[in-house]
This record gives sequence, C-alpha cells and structure tokens, in this order.
Amino acid sequence: MGDLLKESLTWGHFLIFVLAAVVMLLIVLGFVTYTILFERKVLGWMQLRPGPNRVGPWGMLQTVADVLKLLIKEDTIPQKADRPLFILAPVLVFVPSFAVIATLPFSKSLYNADLNVGLLYYAALSSISTIGVVLGGWASNNKYALLGGMRSAAQMISYEIPLVISVVGVIMMSGSLNLRTIVDGQLGGIWHWNFLPQIIGFVVFVIAAVSELNRTPFDLAEAESELVAGYFVEYSGFRWAFFMLAEYVYMFAMSTLITVLFLGGWDAPLPFLNFIPGLVWFALKFLLVVFFLIWLRGTMPRIRIDQLMGLGWKVLLPLALVNILVTAAYLGIING
Amino acid sequence: MKGIIKGLGVTFKSMTKKNVTYAYPDVPIEMPDRFRGIQYFEPDKCIVCNQCVRICPTECITLTGKPNPDPEKKGKVIDTYDINFEICILCDLCTEVCPTEAIVMTNNFELSTYSRDDLFKNKEWLYANNTKIRKENNAATPKGGAK
Repeated sequence: MGDLLKESLTWGHFLIFVLAAVVMLLIVLGFVTYTILFERKVLGWMQLRPGPNRVGPWGMLQTVADVLKLLIKEDTIPQKADRPLFILAPVLVFVPSFAVIATLPFSKSLYNADLNVGLLYYAALSSISTIGVVLGGWASNNKYALLGGMRSAAQMISYEIPLVISVVGVIMMSGSLNLRTIVDGQLGGIWHWNFLPQIIGFVVFVIAAVSELNRTPFDLAEAESELVAGYFVEYSGFRWAFFMLAEYVYMFAMSTLITVLFLGGWDAPLPFLNFIPGLVWFALKFLLVVFFLIWLRGTMPRIRIDQLMGLGWKVLLPLALVNILVTAAYLGIING
Repeated sequence: MKGIIKGLGVTFKSMTKKNVTYAYPDVPIEMPDRFRGIQYFEPDKCIVCNQCVRICPTECITLTGKPNPDPEKKGKVIDTYDINFEICILCDLCTEVCPTEAIVMTNNFELSTYSRDDLFKNKEWLYANNTKIRKENNAATPKGGAK
C-alpha cells in the first residue's frame, strides 16, 4: 500500500485505493455496530441489568435494527432551517472522521498511508468536524441546537490545544510526526512504551481525548438532560445517524491514536511474546482503550461548563506545557 | 482523583454482580398471597345478596338472579354476573363483603387487550379464572396477621 502511493496514479492503482477505502469503511462500520452493542452491554452490567438481549442471539442484531429504523425514518428538514448548510453539516462532521483513519497504522505492514506528518494531519482534519458541529447547530435555526453547537465548539477548541501539546513530548522523544516511526521508537517491551516516560502527557492526552470525543464526563455538547440533544436536536433519520456514526468513528480513531502514541502500537508487552502477531497485540490494547472509555462513561457524571473550561485551560494546558519543558530538559541532559 | 478511582472500582465490581432485573414477559412473576388480582367467581356459592354490587365504589359489578330451578328450595340463584374491568379498581371490597366467598381474589393481573370491549368479563370467564386463587379470604381474621 505504501509503495503503491509513491508510484504514479493509474486506473489500476486507483481501483485498489478505492477498494481499500471501501474495505476500511466496512471494518469501521462493523466496529461501530459492535462498539455500540458492547457499550450498551457494559453499561447494562454496570447498572445491574443485562443490556440489550432481545434482537438476535445475545442482542447481536440490536444495532442493526436501530440503524434500520433510522434509515427508514422520515427525513425532516425544518422549514426555517438553512437548507444547504443543514444538509452539509453531517457530511462535514463525518468525512474528516473517516479521513483521519488513512494515516493510522495497525501493524508493521498493515497501514493505509505512510504520512510523515501523520499526527499533524490527524489534528488538522479532526478540527474540521468542529465546524460541522457549529454549522449543524446554526443551520437548524433552533436555540437549543445553537447553544449545543456553541458549547461544543468552545469545548472542542479548548481541548484541541492540550491534546496536541501533550503529544509534543512524544514527538520530541521519537523525533518524528510519522505514526509508524513513533511506534518503531517504542518497540522492545512494556518499559519502552511512551506512557511511562510521558505519564503526564499520557494522562493529559486521555482526558483531552475523552473531551474531544464528546463523551461522558465531557458530553456537554449533547447533554441529553439539559439541551434536549445539543446541536443535532433538529436532525432525524440518516442525517442524525451520520452524527452518531462520526462520533463512534472518532472513538475508533482516537483509541487507535492512544494505542499508537502511548501504548506501543503492535509491540508485545514482553519480548518473548513476540510470536503472537502484532495485530493481535494492537487489537488487545485498542479494545482496552475502548473499554476504558465505556467504563468511564458508566462511572462519572457530567461536569459543569465552568469546571470544563477551568480544567482545560488552568490544569491540562499548564500540565502539557510542563511536560514539554521536562521532556526537553531531560533530552537536553541525555544528549549533552 | 481518589474519588474517580474509587468510582471506577465500584462500577467495575458491579459488572459481575447479579442482575436485579426480572425476565418478566418470559418468566411470569409470582405475586405474594394477599395480592389483589382479578376476581374468581363461583356461581354455586352465590346467594344473590347483591352486597358486592352495593359496596362497589366504581359500580363496575352488575348481576341478575333468577328463582331457584328446584321448586322446593327458597331463594334465588345467579343468572348473570359481570364485572367491567375498565373501571374496576381491584379494591377487594366485593370479596370482603361477600358472605359466602363466592367472589374471591386471585393472583392473576394481566388484563391488557387491544379492545376495551374485551374488558367486560362475564360469569363464565370469571369462573374459568380459577388459577392462583388467594387462600386467605376470610375478612373476619384479624388484620395484619395473627396477634
């Protein structure tokens, strides 16, 4: 795949790229389907109930049924809504969420594009989704949607900064923005993984990532008990489904990113376990991160908007900056 | 910070705990004795005293009697006996007042139907409702169990 990208574009290559994208999309859709089921199951168990178990064996077809329901629902667009923007918003939210997957490596040989600015590409594209959120809130012509959109924009912009700054330490240690090179720098067992030397960066990154994903305890943008549903209150049917899909695709991308940046990607935790393929290790760590996100949702209540901004600007940002300083000082002493 | 970790521990532990939910439509719920469910009516015991009709707060019971077919016996026997479950509040008064315990409560409670007409139950239906009949029906026993 990486070599093909370097050659000149022919119809054959184009076909391969399209096929790869479609396969990736199907994998992501399958992941989203079963993450939603897994999330509902885990939340159910945490609340002493079984979770979905009626549709299909063990509730396996619950999400399929839900999505089918969304697809056959009437597609309503409010009369006073800004029609073109209203239609554009879900597209603008979803497309970047899928485009960021292009740069994420899954194992030594399994990756889509070997970008040398991979991390920057991720940060840049994921912030486009914020525009889609604000657009959706504005175009709905509804005060709750607008409030939700503005909250969401404020939150996502505030947490984008600590998110990006907290990985600078990782970038300094590996000397590259390329995600594959970052993993290569962590090979050789659990004590080489970035989350140990970069523990401050890791914690800041995880908190900022949860906030970027708009998940509990930072789900103020949706806040179903306060803002009806936040920015997509006027959306229904498959447009609404696209917002939800984008949310879960970001969950996929962010969990992959955490695995790659801090948990050693496809590296085995102990060197003698190397006979197990890297993809298995990657999947295990990835699922651990996904479980952690769901676990956090099952545990914590939503925080207030003033606490949110205070945490972002007064705690996470200084911590991320201190992390850069400490990393720089350490590298300076080591390298003389 | 400590609180968050504690909370995570609580939720993690409760994942393996026993569920508190019932598998209700699949597994029927056994109601305790003294539950006020749909009445069971036994026509042979009824003496057509009309007390249940008079005490009923929602006036949902209607009954008619006819002379005893055996000419040597006095009194009446029941002819029709209907309870309208659209308005019956299952208050237990009809069964408490009944001198012969011809009408008693059962532990059945599933009444939902697609049509309101189905809620008008007649003598035959109430007689057929003969499962899970409540055992403790004597109003003369001291309230709140044995002293």
